[in-house]
Amino acid sequence: MKLTPKATLLAAALLAATSLTACAGGSASAGSSAGDQPKLTFIQGVAGDEFYVSMQCGIDAAAKAAGATINTQGPAKFDPTLQKPIVDSVVASQPDAILIAPTDVAAMQAPLKAAAAAGIKVILVDTTVQDPSFAASAIASDNKGGGLEAFKAIKNLSPNGGKVLVISTDPGVSTADARVAGFEEGAKADSTFQYLGVQYSHNDPAEAARLVSAALAKDPDIVGVFAANTFAAEGTATGIRQAGKQNQVKIVGFDAGPAQVKQLKEGIVQALIAQEPASIGTQGVEQALKAIKGEPTEKEIQTGFKQITADNISGDGAKYVYKSSC
Amino acid sequence: MTTTEAVPRTAGTAPEISRAHTLRQVLHVQSFQILLVLMVIFLAFTALAPDVFPTWGNVRQIIQNVSILGVLGIGMTFVIVTSGIDLSVGSNLVFSGVVAAKVMQAMGDSGWETAIVGILVAVGCGLGWGLLNGVLIAKAKVPPLIVTLGTLGGALGLAQVITGGVDIREVPAVLQDTIGYGNVPGTTWPTISLIAMVLILIFGTVLHRTRFGLYTFAVGSNEESARRVGVKVDRQLISIYALSGGLAGVAGILSLSQYGTTAIAGQSATNLNVIAAVVIGGTSLFGGVGTIFGTVIGLFIPAVLQNGFVIVGIQPFWQQVAVGAVLVLAVYVDQRRRAAAARGQSAKPDGKKKLYGRRSN
Repeated sequence: MKLTPKATLLAAALLAATSLTACAGGSASAGSSAGDQPKLTFIQGVAGDEFYVSMQCGIDAAAKAAGATINTQGPAKFDPTLQKPIVDSVVASQPDAILIAPTDVAAMQAPLKAAAAAGIKVILVDTTVQDPSFAASAIASDNKGGGLEAFKAIKNLSPNGGKVLVISTDPGVSTADARVAGFEEGAKADSTFQYLGVQYSHNDPAEAARLVSAALAKDPDIVGVFAANTFAAEGTATGIRQAGKQNQVKIVGFDAGPAQVKQLKEGIVQALIAQEPASIGTQGVEQALKAIKGEPTEKEIQTGFKQITADNISGDGAKYVYKSSC
Repeated sequence: MTTTEAVPRTAGTAPEISRAHTLRQVLHVQSFQILLVLMVIFLAFTALAPDVFPTWGNVRQIIQNVSILGVLGIGMTFVIVTSGIDLSVGSNLVFSGVVAAKVMQAMGDSGWETAIVGILVAVGCGLGWGLLNGVLIAKAKVPPLIVTLGTLGGALGLAQVITGGVDIREVPAVLQDTIGYGNVPGTTWPTISLIAMVLILIFGTVLHRTRFGLYTFAVGSNEESARRVGVKVDRQLISIYALSGGLAGVAGILSLSQYGTTAIAGQSATNLNVIAAVVIGGTSLFGGVGTIFGTVIGLFIPAVLQNGFVIVGIQPFWQQVAVGAVLVLAVYVDQRRRAAAARGQSAKPDGKKKLYGRRSN
């Protein structure tokens, strides 16, 4: 049988339509059987990142326990121009509450405010927006405290002081900026340390590696690097390895994905500051359910940190490691 | 390969007739089919979520979110019709937005005067990068892929240099209230979409109904033939890349209005999304064939897919798979059509018969 382009296209469209119907059938029936159970949607900062997966695990578990349905969506990159259409679509589907990690403090302000105005309860998880007054609750790690904690970790590793550098992700990400600010405050308050400033790796490990190589070429006597997120830590480790300075430069990473934990176990990274994404998710669902019922919510909740080192990774630090699947 | 198509179009004896023919031919062959695909997708989601998906509120959001890409898509269609490519549109958008935001920040107040200066600055910046692209491609003979890959990095890098990598979030309120989130007075039609639509109509007319458009197709079909019949190919290419750049500048101010931030880290995949839409819409990467109408439909397919998937609650990763499949399929159809055209266009009526034949079964 010879397929003409037109027939091929039509056949493919029909195929797409039927498969769509087929795979949506499951979730649609799940939704309808839910009846008057609360309908929640979780919008990740970026899909497939272990931090958000761990948060999703917490949310899923909490939602299941409470009998709520949950739909998880996320952009392919941590990018407000990709996240906004998703938010708009979610708002159109009229869930009872949205749990969201906004990707930009300014860009997500208007769409989320519109969601709140449409009667949807908005819970901000991890990141926030310029004016979060419309949100029922904002739950995040105390990122500034986390940055300070990272500095303390470097101080433990290099008690004699020296030059320290920060590799961050992108400017304008509220959590990363706060971590850097906390670290900077700690480093500047301690006269034995010299703060070399912050470099932005744009969530690209290769870029982080290049930045660290360049920084080591300029200041060969750096003693510590604080890598503000997962990708920055991966790249920083590569850069230091390339320069052959594993013994001299101590790396403190933020977040504890499987890749970081592996690096920690291999001795490439000396300490990790882990957040509690699952706890953020669980508390997010609790606040969302309260808001839906009309009960008072806590406007702002801060969750804690755990310093993970080679000493406690197999002990009490293990449960803080992020999950790549629930 | 393209000579059979290029000769009648660039012969210059009866351009009006041959162009009208080409237009009709293209509409019948691919843009129409792609419209059919869009309608099928739309109906599928309508069936799955009848209360939510086909509402005006939802469709309005889709249209609003496609508008900025629509403005970029116009320029990209022109560029791809000349068998070129412009990878720099996303960075150009960011750069124009950054410079405009910086100027408006310096002017201080948030009224229309500041906004108008900002708009002019943004378009000017975009035009500048576009001209640079055009001159390097037409005069220095550097391939478009390389030139625009270079300006992609250059524009983004300079935007980061200007701001120190920190987003500017002071955008005049009038821009955000009227263009970004405002509606056309008396309706619920987003202003930003009206702007995009007007630009699409203007440049759609330019591409399909003017000498400038005809020359664009001529250059894309066969550059050498076009040169020999007296088309000023270099000037045409420079104008087209400048147009693409200028529209990226317009998109820059629209993005600034909509997001209220320069979003320097964003727009990283914008260029590829726009190119995908242009190709899905039936514009051939080999040049010489394409419609603005097709590009608009090509933009709506990923947008409607994403919107529908989110509403229905399908895992986000499947959205990329679906869009990727549509893209490859569109190029496959283009190849088939080209092969058929090379054989003397005998496949077309056949295809129509088969289509209806199968439907009745």
